[in-house]
Amino acid sequence: MKNAGAPGKILKRLKSWEGFLALVLGIIFLANVILSPQYLSLLNQINLFQLSIEKIIVALVMTFIIINAEIDLSVGSMMGLGACVFGWLVQGGMGGGWAILVVLLVGLAGGALNGFFITRIGLPSLVVTLATLIGFRGLARVLVEDRGITDFPDWFDALGQNGLIGPVPFALIAFAVLFVLLFIVLQKSGFGRKTYVIGTNRDVADYAGIDTARHKMKLFLASGLISAFAGLLYAARVGAVRGDVALGFELDIITIVLLGGVSIYGGAGSLIGTLLAILIVLNLRNGMALINITGHIQTGVIGLLLIGSVLLPKLNLSTLFRKNKGQPPEQKEESA
Amino acid sequence: MVSPVLELAEITKTFGMTAALSSMSIRLWPGEVHAIVGENGAGKSTMIKIMTGLYPPTSGTIKIDGKPVTLTGPQAARDLGVTAIYQEPMVFPDLDVSENIFISSTREGWIQNRADLRRKAQTLIEGIGITLDVDRIASGLTLAEQQAVEIARALSQDVRVLIMDEPTASLSAHEAEQLRKIAVTLARQGVSVVYISHRLEEIFEIADRVTVVRDGRHISTRPIDEVTSEGMIAEMVGREIDSYFARVPSHAQPETVLEVSNLARKDVFEGVSFNLQKGEILCMAGLVGARRTDIALALFGIAPPTSGHITYKGKKVSFQSPRQAIDAGIAYLSEDRRKFGLAMPMDITANITLATLAEFLSPTGLLDHEKERATAEVFREKLNIRTSDIGLPVEMLSGGNQQKVMLAKWLNLKPDLLIFDEPTRGIDIGAKAEVHALIRAFAAAGGAAIVVSSDLPEVLAMGDRILVMREGRQMGIVDGNDATQENIMSMATGQSDMKEAS
Repeated sequence: MKNAGAPGKILKRLKSWEGFLALVLGIIFLANVILSPQYLSLLNQINLFQLSIEKIIVALVMTFIIINAEIDLSVGSMMGLGACVFGWLVQGGMGGGWAILVVLLVGLAGGALNGFFITRIGLPSLVVTLATLIGFRGLARVLVEDRGITDFPDWFDALGQNGLIGPVPFALIAFAVLFVLLFIVLQKSGFGRKTYVIGTNRDVADYAGIDTARHKMKLFLASGLISAFAGLLYAARVGAVRGDVALGFELDIITIVLLGGVSIYGGAGSLIGTLLAILIVLNLRNGMALINITGHIQTGVIGLLLIGSVLLPKLNLSTLFRKNKGQPPEQKEESA
Repeated sequence: MVSPVLELAEITKTFGMTAALSSMSIRLWPGEVHAIVGENGAGKSTMIKIMTGLYPPTSGTIKIDGKPVTLTGPQAARDLGVTAIYQEPMVFPDLDVSENIFISSTREGWIQNRADLRRKAQTLIEGIGITLDVDRIASGLTLAEQQAVEIARALSQDVRVLIMDEPTASLSAHEAEQLRKIAVTLARQGVSVVYISHRLEEIFEIADRVTVVRDGRHISTRPIDEVTSEGMIAEMVGREIDSYFARVPSHAQPETVLEVSNLARKDVFEGVSFNLQKGEILCMAGLVGARRTDIALALFGIAPPTSGHITYKGKKVSFQSPRQAIDAGIAYLSEDRRKFGLAMPMDITANITLATLAEFLSPTGLLDHEKERATAEVFREKLNIRTSDIGLPVEMLSGGNQQKVMLAKWLNLKPDLLIFDEPTRGIDIGAKAEVHALIRAFAAAGGAAIVVSSDLPEVLAMGDRILVMREGRQMGIVDGNDATQENIMSMATGQSDMKEAS
C-alpha cells in the first residue's frame, strides 16, 4: 500500500469516503448539466449556496463538535434567537452595529451555558442542548412573538441581499473565509489535533495532560457564536425575522455533517468531507428544483441519501475499501 | 461408583497465541470446600469462566456427574447446578430481598404468589444461617448481605456447585467471617463450594482441599492438613527465573526525587510512605485489590490523595490534575493501553507527540508535522519500535510495540519521575526484556522510576527496592537484594502479619 505509485495514490483516495462523495457529487453535477440549461449560470450557482448559506456555515462548526464526540442540538434555536434579538433591538431603536455586537455576545453566552452544563456539571451534550434548543427558541418567540419585524437598516438588508464583490454576496464570502480558516485549524493546528484525540478517547487525552473540559468549552462557545452570526445572516438575507426563524435547521446541519463521513462516535471525519456533503445536498436540491421536483420529495431524497451513507459502510464496503484496517482486537490476558 | 459433581478434564483454553489454561484438571466433590489459589494471571478466572459456561474450552472435557457436557452459556451451567458469585454482587437495587432471590426463577409460574415467595425466601435465607428481613430493598443491604441474597438465589435453583470468586475481598472482617460461615454451612448441606481467595488464612479456616494453579497449569491438589502456607506459596510462585530476569546493580544516586509520607486516599489506601532516589527503580508488588494503581494515580494528579504529604524535588506538591504533574516532570504509563494510554485509531506519530504537543507548535498554533515526524523517527530508532511506517494507526502494532509508543510519548517529556503501571502485561517475553532494558536505561540516565507490577520475577529483577501493598495498606519495603518470591508473596497475602500475631 505504501509503495503504490501516483495512480495507486489516486485510486486510494477514490476508495476513501471522501472519494466516494466526490464520485456522487460528480454524478449529480453531470445530471444537472444535462437536465437543466440554467444550472451552470453564475446566478444559479450563487443562488444555490445562498438559499442554505446559514446552515452550511454552522455545519462547519458542527463538524468540530461531532468529531469531538459531542452534539449541539441548540444551533437552530440559537440562529433563531440571534435573528430575533437583532430584530427586537433594532425595533427598540438600537443602532444596527450595536445590535450585531449584542447578538454575537448572546451567542457566546448561549454557548457558555451549554458548555457549563456539559463540561462543569458533566451532563451529556445531547440532553443539555436539547434543553437549550427549547429554551433559546422559547426566548426568541417571547421577544418577537408572531408578528414579523422587517424595519432593518438599509445597509443591513443590502448586505444580505446584494452582491459584495460583483454578484457574490457577503455571506458566501464569509463561508469561504471561514472554511479556509477552520480547515487550517482542524487539519494543521494543535487545537485540531486535540479535537481528534479527545473525540477518539477522552481519557487518553486527560491522561496526556490535555484540558479536555476547556477544549469542549471553546467548541461550544464557537458553536454559539457562529450560530448567532448565522442568524444575523438569515435576518439580512430574508429581510425579516419571526419567532420561528431557522426552526429545525439543526437536523439539516447534522445530516450534512454525518453524510460528510464524520463519525457520530467522534474521532473521525474531516472538513473536506463536510464540504463535499454540502455540495452534494445543495446541488441535489438545486437540480431537483430546476426540474420542478417539490421540496418534500427533495427532503425525502436527502433522507434516503443519509440512510444510504450510514448503511453503506455497514455493508462491509469499508473493509472492502480499506483492506488493512482493523485487525482482530487482541484478547487481553485474564488476570485471576 | 461415586463420581465428582463437576470435573474439568484436560481443559486447555487459548487466546490467540497465549494459553490461559493448559490441560487443567480438577475434580469437585459434593460437600467439600475446595480452595483454589494462585497468583494474578495464574488462570483462576479463566477456569471459573469455563465452569460457568462463559468461555468454551479450546480442548478438553467438562463432566457433570461423570457425564461429559457442553455448556453453551451461563444459563446452561445454572440449569446443571453450577453458579458463581463474585466480589461485586449482582443484585437489583430497587427490588426487595425476596424479589431478588426469585428474579430469574421460572418455576413460580406467571402469576406469583407474593406471600408464598416471601416464605420461601425466608426459608432459604435461614438455610444459609443468617437473619435478614426479606422485605428490605436490596440497595440498603451491606455487601455481605447482598452476597447472601445472591447465594440464596443460587440455592433456589438447586445449586450443586457454588463458585465464590474473591467473595470477601471488599468485605469487613466481620462480614467476611459471616460469609465464610455460609460457605461452610452450604458444604455441610452437600453443595460443592469452590472458594477462591488471596487471603490464605481464610483458606486454612474453611477449606477441605486446596488446589494450586500457576501459569494456567494444575500444580497440586491436597487435603488442607497436608498443606503449609510456606509450601503453598512456594508452589504458587515456584517458576524458574530465566536469564532475561537477571538483576543488575542499582544506579541510585544520593539525591532524593520523591518523598511520600503517610499518603492516603479515603477508603482506597492509607499509610503509604517511601522515598525515591535519582536513578532508582522502586517496584510496587501486591495482588489484585492491593491499590497500587491508585497510589500511582494519586501521584499523577488524577485521583489526588486526601491526606499525607508528597515532596517532589525538595518542594511540597499537591497535584490536582495530570497537567500539573506533567509540567513538574512526572509521567504515568497506564496499565490499560486501550482505555487510558493510546488513541488506538490514530497514527503512531500523533500518539508519540500527544503529551508534548506544545513543543511542536509554531507561535500561531500550527503543528510542525516535519518536526513531529522527525521526533517519532528518533524514537522508532531508539526504542526499536517495529513498524513499516510511523503513519500507521497504533492499533496495528503488537502489544509490545504499543507499549514502546506509549513509552516514547512520555520519554519525549524528559521526565524526572516515570511511573510504569504493569509495563509488560500481555506482551511476549522478548518485548518484555526490551521494556526492562528501556526502564533500566531511563534509571541509569538519572531518572527515577516506580514500577507497579504483578509479575513477581519482574519485580525481583527490576526493583532496587520493593514496596509491598496489601488491600490498600503498605506492608513493608524490601531491599531488592534480600527479596525472594516467597517473602514478597507472604507479605502480599498477609502471611507475615499472621506470623507476627501468633
